[in-house]
Amino acid sequence: MSRIGVFVCHCGSNIGGVVDCPAVRDYAATLPNVVHAEDNKYTCSDPGQAKIRQAIEDYDLDRIVVAACSPRMHEPTWRALLSHTKVNPYMLEVANLREHDSWVHADNKEAATEKAKDLVKMAVAKVDHAIPLYTQQIPVNKKALIIGGGIAGMQAALDIADAGYKVTIVERKATLGGKMPMLDKTFPTMDCSACICTPKMSEVGNHPNITVKTLSEVTKVEGYVGNFEITIKEHAKYVDYDKCTGCGLCTTKCPSKKIPNEWNQGLDNRTAIHKVFEQAVPSKPVIDADHCLKLTRDKCGVCAKVCPTGAINYEDVDRETTETFGAVVLATGYELIKWEDLYPEYGGGAYPDVIDGLHFERIINASGPSEGRIVRPSDGKEPKSVVIVKCVGSRDPNKGKAYCSRACCMYGAKHAHQIIEHIPDCKVYVFYMDVRTPGKNYDEFYMQAKNDGACYLRGRVSKIYKEGDHYVVWGADTISGAKVEVNADMVILETAMVAAPGATETAMLFGVQTDKDDWIIEAHPKLRPVETASRGVYLAGVAQGPKDIPDTVAQAGAAASKVIGMFSHDSLESNPQISNVDIAKCSGCGTCVHICPYGAISLVEKHLRENSVKVTRDVAQVNPALCQGCGACTVACKPGALDLLGYSDKSIMEEVDALCQW
Amino acid sequence: MSDITTTLRERARALMEDGTIAAFIGWEAGRFERQTTPLICLDAADTDRLIFDEYCVNTTAKYVRDLKQRGRIGVAVRGCDSRAINRMIEDNQFKREDVYLLGIPCPQMNDRKTGTVLNKCQDCAHRNPVTYDELLGEAMEETAPQDRYARAHLVSGLDRIARQNIFNMAFERCIRCYACRDVCPCCTCRTCFVDQRNVGWLGKQDNLSENRFYGMIRAFHISDRCIECGECERACPMDLPLMAINKKLVEDMNTLFGEYESGMTTDNEDALRSFSKTDLEEFE
Repeated sequence: MSRIGVFVCHCGSNIGGVVDCPAVRDYAATLPNVVHAEDNKYTCSDPGQAKIRQAIEDYDLDRIVVAACSPRMHEPTWRALLSHTKVNPYMLEVANLREHDSWVHADNKEAATEKAKDLVKMAVAKVDHAIPLYTQQIPVNKKALIIGGGIAGMQAALDIADAGYKVTIVERKATLGGKMPMLDKTFPTMDCSACICTPKMSEVGNHPNITVKTLSEVTKVEGYVGNFEITIKEHAKYVDYDKCTGCGLCTTKCPSKKIPNEWNQGLDNRTAIHKVFEQAVPSKPVIDADHCLKLTRDKCGVCAKVCPTGAINYEDVDRETTETFGAVVLATGYELIKWEDLYPEYGGGAYPDVIDGLHFERIINASGPSEGRIVRPSDGKEPKSVVIVKCVGSRDPNKGKAYCSRACCMYGAKHAHQIIEHIPDCKVYVFYMDVRTPGKNYDEFYMQAKNDGACYLRGRVSKIYKEGDHYVVWGADTISGAKVEVNADMVILETAMVAAPGATETAMLFGVQTDKDDWIIEAHPKLRPVETASRGVYLAGVAQGPKDIPDTVAQAGAAASKVIGMFSHDSLESNPQISNVDIAKCSGCGTCVHICPYGAISLVEKHLRENSVKVTRDVAQVNPALCQGCGACTVACKPGALDLLGYSDKSIMEEVDALCQW
Repeated sequence: MSDITTTLRERARALMEDGTIAAFIGWEAGRFERQTTPLICLDAADTDRLIFDEYCVNTTAKYVRDLKQRGRIGVAVRGCDSRAINRMIEDNQFKREDVYLLGIPCPQMNDRKTGTVLNKCQDCAHRNPVTYDELLGEAMEETAPQDRYARAHLVSGLDRIARQNIFNMAFERCIRCYACRDVCPCCTCRTCFVDQRNVGWLGKQDNLSENRFYGMIRAFHISDRCIECGECERACPMDLPLMAINKKLVEDMNTLFGEYESGMTTDNEDALRSFSKTDLEEFE
């Protein structure tokens, strides 16, 4: 016979104001195997917990039901409490009287009280069949993998490495840095982006605890928290970085000079063997195999001839290595939306002076092709009238994305401010839907741009077309209700951020899901914002959703602190609420193997003795470290051979039966 | 004695004698006219009892599971039996090399009461075995049924109440003998959910509610795997229209997940038991 104690919580007036808690308590006391029931103001508080501890002693309880808020809120609290008592922490059931009852039935107190009684009855029926569960220890390999070498990945890497742990950064491009070193100045302080980012890049490159793998990607993931076996593919660079000194002689002699320079958004050209930009880390060149004459047509070979150290290797191949990591941070970053296909009314990319924000950053950047002079890409003339269009692709569910890209209002204001600063007689018009400036000193910055003379017009732009050597922008000013037509020499489209290509595929390798816009889904939007549903996999930066630099850096630090926290233990406690196989029922069909999103189930051959006969057959086996307790296998298993510990078929059936008895 | 029977006996005996197989599954004459029963030959001498005619209505495949511990098993397979073999291989009940298949193109089976072609054989699209080690006799031309889902359309066109009435009338007759389950090549669970009294998925009572629950869950359990052999309906002593339910589910599977025939190969991805990393969460 079990001995159940029921604790009904008022949650101040959250529950007590609607549900008649003493009546629920009295009802609970009448339920089978309930030996003690009480109600109190706050069961999660210290005095509330003390009462549970006392009742366990006084009434010799072996199972606990707490009727309070959602178990997502305080189940861990009471589990922690029970771990110091003789009651097993998994012999606890939480009946949700708040989210499931008082909050939604505040208008009908009698019915809410009746429902509360039912919820308690179900919890009592379920806990009656609970079995004690015990955690296991999982060893932790104290090495972190960061995917993405942008500011988020670098910040996380530095924080983890500074705490004394080894870190590997996998970056798909040939240099660290991501988007940030492309930018000119950063709002609202207007400090030079490259000046604050490139020192971080070299710090990462030189850190004794950090290994940087550029032109690399993760191709395969096995294992589980603390013990991920990760295969990293390093694409051929055709340059031996051990020999290369980064002198740059090869890049000056390369005859393929007409390749659009991605770093400068195609505003100028680069060579086939090239360094991405001056301060790139590693500060060494790579060969672009698609354009190299030696690799495409087996001619030339100039770089190998001029290289003083013999670092050029045309036979270089992609290399795969497998390493063990304890934790992973996904910092896959973003791209700007391909607006050209979505907005034919803005010229669809046919007009050279209709550019996006990153183009403009390269134009105004002192290290850009025009050395910081604001000129039109088409003819190199200084514009005297510039239109800035915000929310291109953002907040536009019909054509682009429904979400707000968050940083565009601020960098739009920055662009306006910079143009007026550089060309005082230039007119700047900003078309906006709303101006969103929630951040320290952000609104002040926006007001300054307005005071500088930027003309803010509230409305969307319907059409941009070319007339002579200028562009005509049709828009609306919804505040005055007038149609607006502006002649512009240059148009800057502040386009939406979208998830980096391949981010979803990378996330999927780790069993982490992405939303409809390919942003990585966090474990809980408020309470676990840098964790993912896969244990040991964290996220940082724009990979999770649009962010500006301060938020990205803050989040990277948070992800790093989670990793450091995990690495501060030599082993982790496993979640004991996992799938369990009844091999007598298992027919070895393998459905669960296919269905498990974490690769936690495998078929193993077992030698058994059944009905006095020796048989050899396949049965499912659950890896307790990999299993996340999602329960997908338990519903897919037709004979019910798989059962989720803590949520067994039997206990749930009892719960349903309790509810159906009148 | 037909040619097929002669060659079947010869080949089965030869395979048993040279040790290729440890047992052979076929059919023998039953006690009554126009009746056969499955025959499991454990000895070469047993093979003389094998026969093949248009009354060999039982499927042979499911017996492999009970015999596989003896070694390699020879099986006489027609189209439906061969698909059942594939199905069970896909459900990891045994491996292809555990069986030696003597394929027989099927002349279509007859109902022993009426002497006309059985319902299940009228809908057949694969009379030739889809996998075999030896083919006895000449492969025949396949005649695809005009409408694969004709049986489903008998009920799916009706409104909800009429449909419910049909199923209620059917399951009121059900005696829960579980013959449909026992004969089904997809039902390979060691302990069927209906037999798990301690969990209590299903009550013991023989009433409409429990019978209907059993019938529907059985159909759902095989929905993405049903090979459309019609054995369940043939085995049913109460003449329940089980294939109407099965065919409806097969139709739904094909509509929702693309054209698909279970048991044709052993490397299918069953719609309801595969998880792909490209399965995105499209829900908002």
